[in-house]
Amino acid sequence: MRNHLLASALVVASVFPATVSFARQSTVYASVLSTRLFVVGAPNPSTGLFFQNPPDDTLWRHSGRNNIRAFGLAVHAPSRGQLIYIASGNGAHRTTDGGASWKISTGWNITEVLGVAIDPKNPNNVYLCTAYGMFKTTDGGEHWREMNGGLSARFVSSIVIDHSNSDIVFCSTEDGVYRSDAGGRDWKRTGLNVGGVRILTQHPQLSEILFAGTENHGIFITRNGGTSWEKIEAGLDHQTFYTIAFDPGKPDTMYAGGFATGVYKSVDGGKNWKRTSNGLTNLNVHSIAVNPTNGNQVYAATMWSGIFRSDNAGDTWRNAGLDGSQVWTITIQPF
Amino acid sequence: MKKIVFICTMCLSFAVSSNGQSPFEQRRLQLLEVASVERERGFQTVTAKLLAGRDREYALTMLDSLTSDEAIGGMFYSYSLIGCYLHTRVVLPDSLRKKVRSAYRNRTMYRGDTENHWVTYYTGLYLAAQTWPHQDGTEWFNGKSSSENFQESTEWLNHWIRMSARIGQGEFDSPTYISVFITPMLVLYDFAQDPQMKRKAQMMLDLLFADFAVEHLKGNYAGGHSRDYPEDIVNPLAAPSTFWAWLYFGEPEFAPWSEARFRPRHRGAWEPLFGAVSSYRLPDIIYRIATDRTKPYVQTKTKRVRNIIRFGAEKNPPVFKYTYMTRHYALGSLQGGILQPIQQHTWDVTYASGKPYNTLFTLHPFFSGKELAMFFPEEQKFLSDEVDRYHKVYTNPNKWNSSSPYEQTFQHKNALIVLYNIEQGAIHPHIDGFFPKNLEQRVVDKSGWIFCKAGDTYMAFFPLKPYEWIEEEINWRWRSHELKNGAVVEIGSSTADVSFDRFRKKVSASIPLFKNFEENLTVQYTTRMGDRMKFTFGGERVLNGKHVDFARYRFFDGPYLQSEYKSGIITMLYKGSKRVLDFNEVSITE
Repeated sequence: MRNHLLASALVVASVFPATVSFARQSTVYASVLSTRLFVVGAPNPSTGLFFQNPPDDTLWRHSGRNNIRAFGLAVHAPSRGQLIYIASGNGAHRTTDGGASWKISTGWNITEVLGVAIDPKNPNNVYLCTAYGMFKTTDGGEHWREMNGGLSARFVSSIVIDHSNSDIVFCSTEDGVYRSDAGGRDWKRTGLNVGGVRILTQHPQLSEILFAGTENHGIFITRNGGTSWEKIEAGLDHQTFYTIAFDPGKPDTMYAGGFATGVYKSVDGGKNWKRTSNGLTNLNVHSIAVNPTNGNQVYAATMWSGIFRSDNAGDTWRNAGLDGSQVWTITIQPF
Repeated sequence: MKKIVFICTMCLSFAVSSNGQSPFEQRRLQLLEVASVERERGFQTVTAKLLAGRDREYALTMLDSLTSDEAIGGMFYSYSLIGCYLHTRVVLPDSLRKKVRSAYRNRTMYRGDTENHWVTYYTGLYLAAQTWPHQDGTEWFNGKSSSENFQESTEWLNHWIRMSARIGQGEFDSPTYISVFITPMLVLYDFAQDPQMKRKAQMMLDLLFADFAVEHLKGNYAGGHSRDYPEDIVNPLAAPSTFWAWLYFGEPEFAPWSEARFRPRHRGAWEPLFGAVSSYRLPDIIYRIATDRTKPYVQTKTKRVRNIIRFGAEKNPPVFKYTYMTRHYALGSLQGGILQPIQQHTWDVTYASGKPYNTLFTLHPFFSGKELAMFFPEEQKFLSDEVDRYHKVYTNPNKWNSSSPYEQTFQHKNALIVLYNIEQGAIHPHIDGFFPKNLEQRVVDKSGWIFCKAGDTYMAFFPLKPYEWIEEEINWRWRSHELKNGAVVEIGSSTADVSFDRFRKKVSASIPLFKNFEENLTVQYTTRMGDRMKFTFGGERVLNGKHVDFARYRFFDGPYLQSEYKSGIITMLYKGSKRVLDFNEVSITE
């Protein structure tokens, strides 16, 4: 039954051309890594980049290539969605025309790309975090350079470009959180002394505040740009977190999810947390996004059960499509 | 020494039959004939039909359907499609040629995440970009131009060949995955226009076949394997490698499709057709190495662990292989530990037999998300479930393939000590042994040894700890639940021991010493030939009082195949013949 639902959803999605304009009030993008039906090299249902335009739009349309093992994604907001990168097993896929055409911008030496970040002030500067380290382009993806100086662990799972100063970049590794003050050169380990940091998130206004979600060690916060970190305990009963998200319009409101966690919510800037998973039938949450134009609308991407949506700031959830999918990343852009 | 002229490497030095065809030529034509009437849809069967001029309309319909179904794509599709196309394009209608071309624009040819995925992906892309040059990115699935794709493919293939010839493959000596290394290299050899790339493909084929040949026993791929499926591990002649052995080595004597008990499953079944239609010819020296088992010998090899992306200090640590080959059996092993996730086969004895299930081995059925996360970038807490979806048995306590951090071996010729040190709290806290039911004898001796006879091969197995027998369909499962555990194995034969009884008598006179094993994890054993082995789990391997140093392993070492580690020069020797593959100079000399 589940497979049938998945197949139906994806067939519906696939009838739309891949060049549909993304320009609407807000657009939700989701990168689907895999489905329950996926087998390497076999006929497979669609995975990759999906998008929809809420609130009325309930269909997920597909853009770009199928079956690319899509992990992270980055949408350049100032371009209104014309510039998008997908981090994938095949490398970094790039569109500069809103999805009308795509190119793998990396070569054979960049693979297993887990995350991507575009410098909002200069979209020619793009960072990739991969299973083999960090890479950067300064010419919009034409050439990439390895940027691993100072990293003790090459497996990097997320990147944050400081929104107040894009020379400052953070990345999460299997050996803690690293910071570069020189645009990806000369990484230095911050004060977080746990292995396996899965996700980093920066406060949308206060750039010195970052949160780190870890494998088996819970959530940490720094209030001084990484110099020191403290573990957050209040209300958190789980230890592995893959996602931490702010409500951009009300940054004291935050959401977090991970392995078997469901969705946690904080309304005091991350000091205290409470589970809010009513209607969430899969508690393995890999990514959460809050609509910047409507803070009540929250999306949670799950492992193998697609996407769930709440229209009341997390009080209740319902499935919002892509059932059967392992959705790695979800993001919402206000255009 | 003379340089070979490569265009003329039709090394037909096999005996020629009365009808003027060499045995290889007969097998090649036989395979072409059988594949040309096969109804199964596939690029190899399409190729066979079109080249044999049989079932043309059906073949074109199959090809049309293979190029129309947009759900199909990926690396295996890519190299098979271009191989089929390049072999048959002169007889294809324009409409189908266009469909083949458009497949490289409309589909995702996913690159994958394993060595064989990348070899097939970049071989397919190289040949496609060569076939349709001077086209811009809009004509290609990845948005890159023909020249960009050609350059990238060339670079990676060169990288892979350079690495494989110096530190070895990560997916080494796999009875299943050998097909997806040989087949793309055959297609690359046949159609690469660049003479350098063509020669490199030929040298890789020579290397792959020579690597197989030194561990080949009557159609079986003996020794430890980086990856294999459980069905092939317990029934070695059913593995795809048997098909290649039949075609190129002439062993086993039966054709793989004619014996239901050995018939390969769909996976890898018809790939050798690309060998049957290839201009590549196996050098006679490799054929001789593969089939001459008149004298026993030891072959060692150094390989590499698949890319470790986290939880490891080194990206590609070395793997040390040891295999003892005789005319009746082969005993082979890897050093143990996690060398490949999911499908590792650490040690076995494989014996020449007309019966299936001709092998005996033990393992610890380990699984863990962290093991998988060493090699795969997805979330470690979900990896076991995901791998279970398509490898089916990964978390199964009864599986017959596994790497385990709790398993280590020490082998000397026909004797082996395998030790287990299973952590308290491990999920499957037992070790299993595969004993086929069709053994002629399986006797538990009062000395503690278990003696088995299969034709001319005699096997002795000494368990260190209590165990039980579990009867299953094709085998007895030997199972022991002790955490600190192990066994000593010694193999004999009618040639070395005259009779099974004499073998039993000799072996039972030597009991392994393992006093205080719970504390020291050490076993000492003196083989029936008088060699003294001492092995400590996590410690030394000592042979006749001397420390065995893996660091001294060469890339290949044996009477027939030799190479220094990282030299890029591989030497094949057989009696007075010699063939040298020099990957630095991209040359072959004889």
